[in-house]
Amino acid sequence: MIFWLIAEIIKILIVFAGLLMAAAYLTLLERKVAAKIQNRMGPMEAGFHGLLQPIADGIKLFFKEDIIPADADGILFILAPIIAVIPALTTFAVIPFGAPVKILGHTVPLQITDVNIGILFILALSSLGIYGVVLGGWASNSKYSLLGGIRTAAQMISYEIPLVLSIIGVIMIAGDLSLSKIVSEQSHIWFIVYQPVGFMIYLIASTAEMNRVPFDLGEAEGELVAGFHTEYSSMKFAFYFIGEYAQIVVNSAVIVTLFLGGWQGPLLPSVLWFLIKVFFVVLIYLWLRWTYPRLRYDELMDFGWKFLLPLALANIIVTGFIMILINK
Amino acid sequence: MEALFYVFSIIAVFSALMVISMKNPLTSALYLVLCFFALAGFYVLLDMQFLAAMQILVYAGAIMVLVVLIIMLLNLSKIKKIKMDLHQVFIAMVIFIILLVEITIYILNGSLKKPTGIYTHALINKIGNTQILGEFLFTKYIFPFEVASVFLLVAIIGAYLFAKKKY
Repeated sequence: MIFWLIAEIIKILIVFAGLLMAAAYLTLLERKVAAKIQNRMGPMEAGFHGLLQPIADGIKLFFKEDIIPADADGILFILAPIIAVIPALTTFAVIPFGAPVKILGHTVPLQITDVNIGILFILALSSLGIYGVVLGGWASNSKYSLLGGIRTAAQMISYEIPLVLSIIGVIMIAGDLSLSKIVSEQSHIWFIVYQPVGFMIYLIASTAEMNRVPFDLGEAEGELVAGFHTEYSSMKFAFYFIGEYAQIVVNSAVIVTLFLGGWQGPLLPSVLWFLIKVFFVVLIYLWLRWTYPRLRYDELMDFGWKFLLPLALANIIVTGFIMILINK
Repeated sequence: MEALFYVFSIIAVFSALMVISMKNPLTSALYLVLCFFALAGFYVLLDMQFLAAMQILVYAGAIMVLVVLIIMLLNLSKIKKIKMDLHQVFIAMVIFIILLVEITIYILNGSLKKPTGIYTHALINKIGNTQILGEFLFTKYIFPFEVASVFLLVAIIGAYLFAKKKY
């Protein structure tokens, strides 16, 4: 019992620290990838090839003046960035990041907790991320923030439906909602082979859920200054950033778990395989951002409702038919 | 477990009271979200993780977001005066009395019941309650399930017609 408790606390600390570090260094990675794509060098001054840049950024944000607008709703204004961060950090609790290891005769699964509805837990939490954005936009009491918040809310609701539906194919094949079972089902073949359409829909819809280019209508710089976080400064602004980048890591980890075989792989240790795969999916997200221009708002809605949603539904029906045909 | 039950109960009752006593409709809506979380906690305590996740995914994550969105769009802060409507008071009283009677009857008649039929707690934990729920929805309760989906379809078509109409 005590061993279990200690192991659990250590796992939580490792995941928490790892996620925050990853979120911080993802800002550097993003700037480096952007620089490579635009044929620049990126940050070079702080540390070797800018390796200390995230720490410098963090210190800078920490010492900035913390401004709360006079007309803002005080409590909600402070609460909103916190609400934006919590779902992103909590989601990782159900993701298995390695094969079970044996320590002192006990088998410790490398997953904080194995809920039997793991996928639904992730979906439920990711649907809450919207509150941080909407409340931040509303509480700032500024027209740009409000417009950004409303736009983002409408967009996130629209893309949540294809996001949820795209996973159902995986659930049907695996026959289980628990993430550790889904990973062990993929020991022979990754689910991306069975579910290429589901994978693409999840990738696109999750990009829209995170408000990243080409779906960053909520913070379109050209029209809305900075969207929902226009009025934010200092660490509150940083919280939005941490939430956004932690969400990228978490979504990549979900993709790896559902479609790319989780931590399974030959030769190398399982945790390393997990990290490698997550890194590559993160690179896909960054690549998307620096390749495509932003969609117009009506294009965005059309794409979500008239293309992704029917495609996700068709994917479920086709998957069901094939499963009946081959008697699985 | 019992302590958790009381914690969730206090949160649920407190947030439900705040929903109806807050002046600002947005704050009320947010307290309602908190109330849904407490209810999800009850479901987890009852070993119904599926319902708990659905509670958060559907109610807190989708329906309440729409409510919050509408409140933000309406700009209610300009409406200062709250009108008292006698019809509303009357309807509310009737519903309140019906609910009160219903709850009293349930509390008086209900005692600790164990799950009946072939599904014991051990079996449910072995198969997983999501699978059992799905099985029941598609066999024993297929008719209510289909009726509910037809209603939803009607609602979707109705919403579409309202949205399409040009005023």
